[in-house]
Amino acid sequence: MTTVLAPRTPGEAAQALSEATAARASVTVAGGGTRSRRGRPGPPADRELRTTGMDRVVAHEPADLTLTVEAGVPVTEAVRIAASAGQAWPQAEVREGSTVGGVLAAAASSRQRLRSGAVRDSLLEVVIATGDGRLVTAGGRTVKGVSGYDIPRLAVGSLGTLGVIVQATLKLWPLPPARAWFGAGGPLADRIAAAERALTGGVRPSSVLLGPGRLAVELAGPEDDVRAPEGLAPLTEAPAEPAGEGLVEAGVSPALLGELAVRLEEAGLPYEAWMGVGICRVAVGSAGDVARVRGWALALGGHASVIDGPDHLRADPWGPEPPGVHLMKRLRERFDPAGILNPRMLVWA
Amino acid sequence: MATTQAPAVRDRFAALLDPGRVIDHPLERRLYGRDGSIAQGDCGLVVLPETTAEVVACMRLAHDLGIPVVPRGSGTGLCGGAVPLDGALVLSVARMSRILEVDPSVPCARVEPGVLNLDLSTAVRHLGLHYAPDPSSQQACSIGGNVATNAGGPHCLASGVTAQHILGMEIVLADGEVLRLGGTAPDPPGYDLRGFVVGGEGTLGVVTEITVRLSRNPPHVTTMLLDFPTVAAAGAAVGGIIGAGVIPAAMEMMDQKMVVAVEAFVRADLPVEAAALLLVEVDGTAAEVASHTAVVERVGAETGAGRVRVARDEAERALFWKARKSAFGAVARIAPNYYLHDCVVPRTRLVEILARIYEIGAELDLVIMNVFHAGDGNLHPLIAFDRRDPEQVERVHAAGTLIIEACVAVGGVLSGEHGIGLEKRDFMPLTFSATDLEAQACAREAFDPEGRMNPAKVLPIGSRCGEIVLDAGSLPEGTWL
Ligand SMILES: Cc1cc2nc3c(=O)[nH]c(=O)nc-3n(C[C@H](O)[C@H](O)[C@H](O)COP(=O)(O)OP(=O)(O)OC[C@H]3O[C@@H](n4cnc5c(N)ncnc54)[C@H](O)[C@@H]3O)c2cc1C
Ligand SMILES: Cc1cc2nc3c(=O)[nH]c(=O)nc-3n(C[C@H](O)[C@H](O)[C@H](O)COP(=O)(O)OP(=O)(O)OC[C@H]3O[C@@H](n4cnc5c(N)ncnc54)[C@H](O)[C@@H]3O)c2cc1C
Repeated sequence: MTTVLAPRTPGEAAQALSEATAARASVTVAGGGTRSRRGRPGPPADRELRTTGMDRVVAHEPADLTLTVEAGVPVTEAVRIAASAGQAWPQAEVREGSTVGGVLAAAASSRQRLRSGAVRDSLLEVVIATGDGRLVTAGGRTVKGVSGYDIPRLAVGSLGTLGVIVQATLKLWPLPPARAWFGAGGPLADRIAAAERALTGGVRPSSVLLGPGRLAVELAGPEDDVRAPEGLAPLTEAPAEPAGEGLVEAGVSPALLGELAVRLEEAGLPYEAWMGVGICRVAVGSAGDVARVRGWALALGGHASVIDGPDHLRADPWGPEPPGVHLMKRLRERFDPAGILNPRMLVWA
Repeated sequence: MATTQAPAVRDRFAALLDPGRVIDHPLERRLYGRDGSIAQGDCGLVVLPETTAEVVACMRLAHDLGIPVVPRGSGTGLCGGAVPLDGALVLSVARMSRILEVDPSVPCARVEPGVLNLDLSTAVRHLGLHYAPDPSSQQACSIGGNVATNAGGPHCLASGVTAQHILGMEIVLADGEVLRLGGTAPDPPGYDLRGFVVGGEGTLGVVTEITVRLSRNPPHVTTMLLDFPTVAAAGAAVGGIIGAGVIPAAMEMMDQKMVVAVEAFVRADLPVEAAALLLVEVDGTAAEVASHTAVVERVGAETGAGRVRVARDEAERALFWKARKSAFGAVARIAPNYYLHDCVVPRTRLVEILARIYEIGAELDLVIMNVFHAGDGNLHPLIAFDRRDPEQVERVHAAGTLIIEACVAVGGVLSGEHGIGLEKRDFMPLTFSATDLEAQACAREAFDPEGRMNPAKVLPIGSRCGEIVLDAGSLPEGTWL
């Protein structure tokens, strides 16, 4: 039986972890649970720490473009608060049910990454509760700063293996005056060429997404810039995401993403390639699909991870070990000495 | 004063490189004992490898001999980061200065660490590209040094500091192991070691190759100079522009003392009677530039700007920037020495902190001028002095401490872009608890378990990770931080 831990404050979270370390009890960290089918399959952990009770908005400073919240605050709430002051957290993937801590721990960047950058670039200060229950603050709350080692960057994408993110200060940006999606169909070669034109044209798009049979471009800025580029027509809504039993996220050089798209279209796999960024999300239905997509990504010098899916798709969620695994191990030992946190995540670390 | 190294050690390094690339002469070593800060260290041998293989060989030998190593780029750093202590080995990558590859299809460039920042932008200009982080020292500082300090610059307001422009790197660890981290494929699985190394100040390893993101030149740019009757009015304009939803490409402030010094130096017809000057640049599409320019002009008028001078052409734009970027050269002409400070406050506290800085100057009878990245609250108070006057040096020291304390008291941080190094090391406890510092020590120690990389920098002496104490390295007698 898994014991549920539901801390309401960072202090309580640290206390719970310190007790778990003392008892050598494994702990799964759960945010909103919108992407909990991650990592290597295995028996449930001894305890589950739910972050949703830590839901205080600590400080919103619109004039300083910063927002400090506890990790359990829903990402939709963080975005609503920002929008109330005409601001946005454009780097974050916003989904109903996801938490700020979950988005950061999973490094879930938004489709606007082309223009706004990765979510790891938006985290100014972080407080984490380490595996052994220390509360560590790192970074700084100002929009700019170098203040010692960049632990916030380690925390983003660490999938809860270095500590539980309990509080975060985010850098906000002004909301654009206007934004809209435009799309086109046609043969793949033509769509890739149109994507290239969108990337190098005068208006910097916030998103250029290639998918089976379609190209979608999002423009944002002054009204005058948010007009259909040549050969594209307005879309009424954002393009749908690839859907399947599981989801693989591949990363390859932006210069090679078109080549990956060629293979995916030939194979008939639903996908969404973030042109100019190098990310490609692919819907998969079998372990064979996972292996094929990973094979192509590796051949192009990239990588592919299963970010969601049932157990049978996650025998090997990450593929070959990345360089520096021994450093990751050492980091992990120093932040989670008993190795209790999310033992099925980043298993080589 | 540094003594000559044991010949045996010198000869062993000379066998790895060639004798001409191992420096042992006391005078030359004295030069390598300094950087752009005021600290004078104690430099042992200096080695000048030209390839990663040579860096590895030097690192292995240093490892076998148990010698501490200080990586060095161009030595323009302002926090004493490249200053060796206790006769440490200085490993300069200045000769690794080739641009290895430019790939416009990403767009990115692969460079050796000794490539100078401006040289890279110059080399890709014909492709309509540039390397975005532009420290004021960009003619002299190296990309490797920029990575190690997570350097900023005027245009980092909208485009982000160095960390956001580094895609991948090759690093040689303290024991000579070579790792390639990151690359053009985004988000490799596992911890973001690449991101962590940025800002590591040479304490995590020697960066021997870097893949940087290049940016497309904006189609339109408008550069404006606004003069204000008071510093408070200039501060209000900064807040007003950002409050109106505009993040300019750059937004720099200069106060009157600075304007006077710069005008005497560059003759740009600057309004020397103004209390403060704002240099604002907006870029993007024609529509963006037009709407952002309109906002800057409107806010300027509302906050009492005397005149908004818009650069008419590229030559005038270049002149405005020359005025900004030669500020330090201008000061060098009027004061024998200067101490350039660097700290950040929440932007809304700028005016209040500037007032406090002027007070500190008055209390301690020092000339303090300001030229800084106003858009992100990153102050650079510059204290003019004469180091031959020990009593004045004392006061400069005291002023530096008071400024840091004042910034931290209003929610600021110790450094915006110059780094911690030696200069701010002992102030770290002002913003971090013992637990926080211990976690930082642990993260550092994961890369360099023996603590031989750039010891005694960044973390206060005695910082520890569990049982391991990071120590080693004391300042020579009379060193001033
Ligand atoms: C349809 C759909 C598609 C998606 N596609 C993608 C995608 O392509 N790429 C992508 O990255 N994400 C994707 N997501 C996932 C989602 O946006 C992010 O994973 C987000 O992190 C989920 O937030 P959560 O609060 O629900 O986290 P959870 O699902 O609860 O947790 C996600 C991971 O983060 C850990 N974690 C959660 N909170 C914390 C914390 N406070 N501290 C430390 N660790 C924590 C958990 O242990 C777990 O490993 C998708 C989600 C949905 C519903
Ligand atoms: C007039 C003036 C203006 C300046 N303006 C700015 C500014 O606007 N913004 C800004 O950010 N900085 C500024 N600086 C500070 C300085 O130029 C930057 O910190 C720069 O990044 C240092 O680069 P460098 O090559 O000179 O490095 P160095 O001074 O040689 O070294 C700096 C640090 O980096 C480490 N290091 C260097 N190379 C490597 C490597 N290859 N691998 C690992 N570690 C390495 C060193 O050990 C040291 O800790 C200014 C300096 C001056 C003198």
